[in-house]
Amino acid sequence: MSLWRPLKVLPTLMRVGFAESLAYRAEMIIWVFATTMPFVMLALWSAVAHAAPVASSSGRSWGSAEFVAYFLTMFMVRQLVSAWAAWEINFEIRQGTLAMRLLKPLHPVWSFATSNVAAMPLRAAVSIPVLVVLFAVGAHRQLASDWRLWPLVPFALLGGWLIAFFANVAIGSLAFRMEQSLKVMDVWFTCFFVFSGYLVPTDLFPPWLRAVAAYLPFRYQLGFPVELLLGQHELGSALRMLAAQWAWALGLMTVALVLWRLGVRRFQAVGG
Amino acid sequence: MIRVRGLKKHYRVHKRPPGAAAALKALFRRDWQTVKAVDGIDFELGAGECVGFLGPNGAGKTTTLKTLAGLLHPSEGEVRVDGHEPQRRESAFLEKIMLVMGQKQQLLWDLPPAETFELNRAIYDVPKDVYRRRLDELVTLLALGELVNKPTRQLSLGERMKCELVAALVHGPKVLFLDEPTIGLDVSMQVAMRDFIRRYNQQTGATILLTSHYMDDVEALCPRVVVIDKGRLSFDGTLASLVQQVKPEKRLTLRFASPTTRAQVEALGTVVKFSAAESELQIPAAQVSAVVAKALGTLPVRDLNVENAPLEEVMSELFARTAADTRSTEAVR
Amino acid sequence: MRGLGRYVSLFGLQLRTSGLLAAQYRWDFLIDGALSVFSAAAALVPLFVVYADERRGIPGWSFEESLVVIGCFLLLQAILEGAINPGLVAVIEHIRKGTLDFVLLKPADAQFLVSTSRFQLWRVAGLVNASIVFTFAFTRLGRWPSAVGVLQMAVLVAAAVWILYSLWIVIVSAAFYVVKIDNLTYLFTSLFDLARWPVTVFRGALRVVFTVLLPLGLMTTYPAEALLGRLDWPTLVASVLGAGLFAAAARAVWLRSIRHYTSAGG
Repeated sequence: MSLWRPLKVLPTLMRVGFAESLAYRAEMIIWVFATTMPFVMLALWSAVAHAAPVASSSGRSWGSAEFVAYFLTMFMVRQLVSAWAAWEINFEIRQGTLAMRLLKPLHPVWSFATSNVAAMPLRAAVSIPVLVVLFAVGAHRQLASDWRLWPLVPFALLGGWLIAFFANVAIGSLAFRMEQSLKVMDVWFTCFFVFSGYLVPTDLFPPWLRAVAAYLPFRYQLGFPVELLLGQHELGSALRMLAAQWAWALGLMTVALVLWRLGVRRFQAVGG
Repeated sequence: MIRVRGLKKHYRVHKRPPGAAAALKALFRRDWQTVKAVDGIDFELGAGECVGFLGPNGAGKTTTLKTLAGLLHPSEGEVRVDGHEPQRRESAFLEKIMLVMGQKQQLLWDLPPAETFELNRAIYDVPKDVYRRRLDELVTLLALGELVNKPTRQLSLGERMKCELVAALVHGPKVLFLDEPTIGLDVSMQVAMRDFIRRYNQQTGATILLTSHYMDDVEALCPRVVVIDKGRLSFDGTLASLVQQVKPEKRLTLRFASPTTRAQVEALGTVVKFSAAESELQIPAAQVSAVVAKALGTLPVRDLNVENAPLEEVMSELFARTAADTRSTEAVR
Repeated sequence: MRGLGRYVSLFGLQLRTSGLLAAQYRWDFLIDGALSVFSAAAALVPLFVVYADERRGIPGWSFEESLVVIGCFLLLQAILEGAINPGLVAVIEHIRKGTLDFVLLKPADAQFLVSTSRFQLWRVAGLVNASIVFTFAFTRLGRWPSAVGVLQMAVLVAAAVWILYSLWIVIVSAAFYVVKIDNLTYLFTSLFDLARWPVTVFRGALRVVFTVLLPLGLMTTYPAEALLGRLDWPTLVASVLGAGLFAAAARAVWLRSIRHYTSAGG
């Protein structure tokens, strides 16, 4: 696929996508408020840390303040590094409306990507109250103090989103062959919950579990941007993590585009 | 403009028998069968032609249209649309064509249609001035006015279909595939759509291939028809010659000044409808003048009228006939 | 009672339809089962991490006792996802497609019909998970729940299902007013996640909310305490009364919404 046309179309795609996200604001707000898990986990960990701070095997000490900062940041980052293209692709394949997209001289992945990205401003806006709380309870003091980490944050967020999006496209493309490809998404999500640091900061994992997490994409999608924001990494290790994150992003992109291509070929063979 | 040679499209589907036991069995083993949606068809369309593509449900119409639009790979045979191989889905090809499906929509549901138009403008990279002129024309022709700024979900089915057409035509396709464009619309809306399609065909010289269940659409728009049944072509020619071939008999309607008996009318030919004041007869084309003369001589005729059999009847006869043919060939085998 | 017999056979029929549907999707059988084991294991990870160090834990709850709460959570989750949610999804679809009229036309209670219209039978796997967690927890504790405890727990679980079902009916009622509420099912499931841990992890106002307003504590913490043999009778009685109150309120909301629906002309 050539890049020239997508780049020219991008502004329009984004504008329409944003208008669409405004039209679906009620659904989105519900969705955002349904991502309660960080708060559930915050309650658990605060109760645990109430008596005495929790010490991680790496030597960091987690008190109530650390948990508050971690899970509130986690909630906000989750809004930015999520994608839902798998559901859209699945739905359109089953309804047959994907045909309308395939008739267009633009790779459908672009329109799925922009519709996901265009919803970001609104999602970010919804997490403003959480940001306010973060400052009100003084948890902002936990944010990274080394200014050299901050320029990396946008790249870490983008890398995290790319992992989420292309995992969605890859799994969505399975719907060309499988009736129940969304179950694969469930598996992905379950792993994501455990290994991304969403339920438990990976820092608190026993060493062997942390080693497993290092070889999976999930921590790079969500845990790493959060840890970066909280200054849990030195510049050197942050750059190494960022490189690993982008390697995952590019790898998943390749897999996703190949699966998409095979899927469309199959779609042409058996019809929609 | 369009050339189809020996096109076949076969699918393998699994049978899903009803009942609990069978469903359980299907957990472990599936029975497959081949469906021949399109089974070797040939036809050609010249530039600027508007052709009706007819056939009963499941005859392979939509499959053929989707193949022509590049959504399906042919199992066998060759398809060319303006020199392109559709299944390769090159941008240059996609920019020239459009497929409009009466039952599938591309409009963004919760945004005004104008947004979809603008999106398509960008995707097809239509210059702004060309786009504005074309959109103005389309909106005026279809009498859409301010409707394009209302969210799609608030539009009626007819209004939505008109907007679908606009969205499909923003890039000025040279080849247009219309799959049941008037389905579910009320009669006045059907007439409006028909007028619009005719005018679009005349003004832009676009090639149009259209399927419809409404014979009025076909009669109004398509001088030529191609009939497909069970994946095979059973007719290709003008509408008039189709009627000629399938039902050469004419319909003679007689209105009487004073009551007549059934026997008197039956003496003239096959009675389709009878009442004391008005009757309808079916007579071979060659005998029309003779029968009319006889009727005028023997009956108190006040008024009469000779026409072809209604197209709906022609079609149902044609489909019934091909069904009977297939049955007899199968019996021979 | 002629009516009751008819409802029993109707229920059987609806169950059979769901069974046929379940058999149609052959992979669901394996995938749903594997998936539920997998997600149950994942749900345990935080608990293992918390108790990895003996010096820390949830105040007032040992590792095994917390496991019993999770067991109750898995049990209710299986019921929620297998029997309650699918019906909710079906009704929302009915309302969106305008086919609820067909349901309302039938000569049986609409609430009964919609709530029994669909079951996800493969979710039974969740019950197996729950029993594994219970067995593991009580083996480690080295004692088994008393008969009274089990009885109390059964009563409480019934009350919890009743409350979940009532909450569900309230959500469905909302669908009559706001058409697009697909996400509400998701919200519902997410809120239910709060019942994962003993209600004591919430402090202050939140604990009051989750015990009284949205009785999540009642759903998992009290049944667990019953099994552990430390639930007092007044709490049990209050819980059952509360569930009854909840159900009555939900039924009233439902009837009101149906009136709204029919008078609005669909």
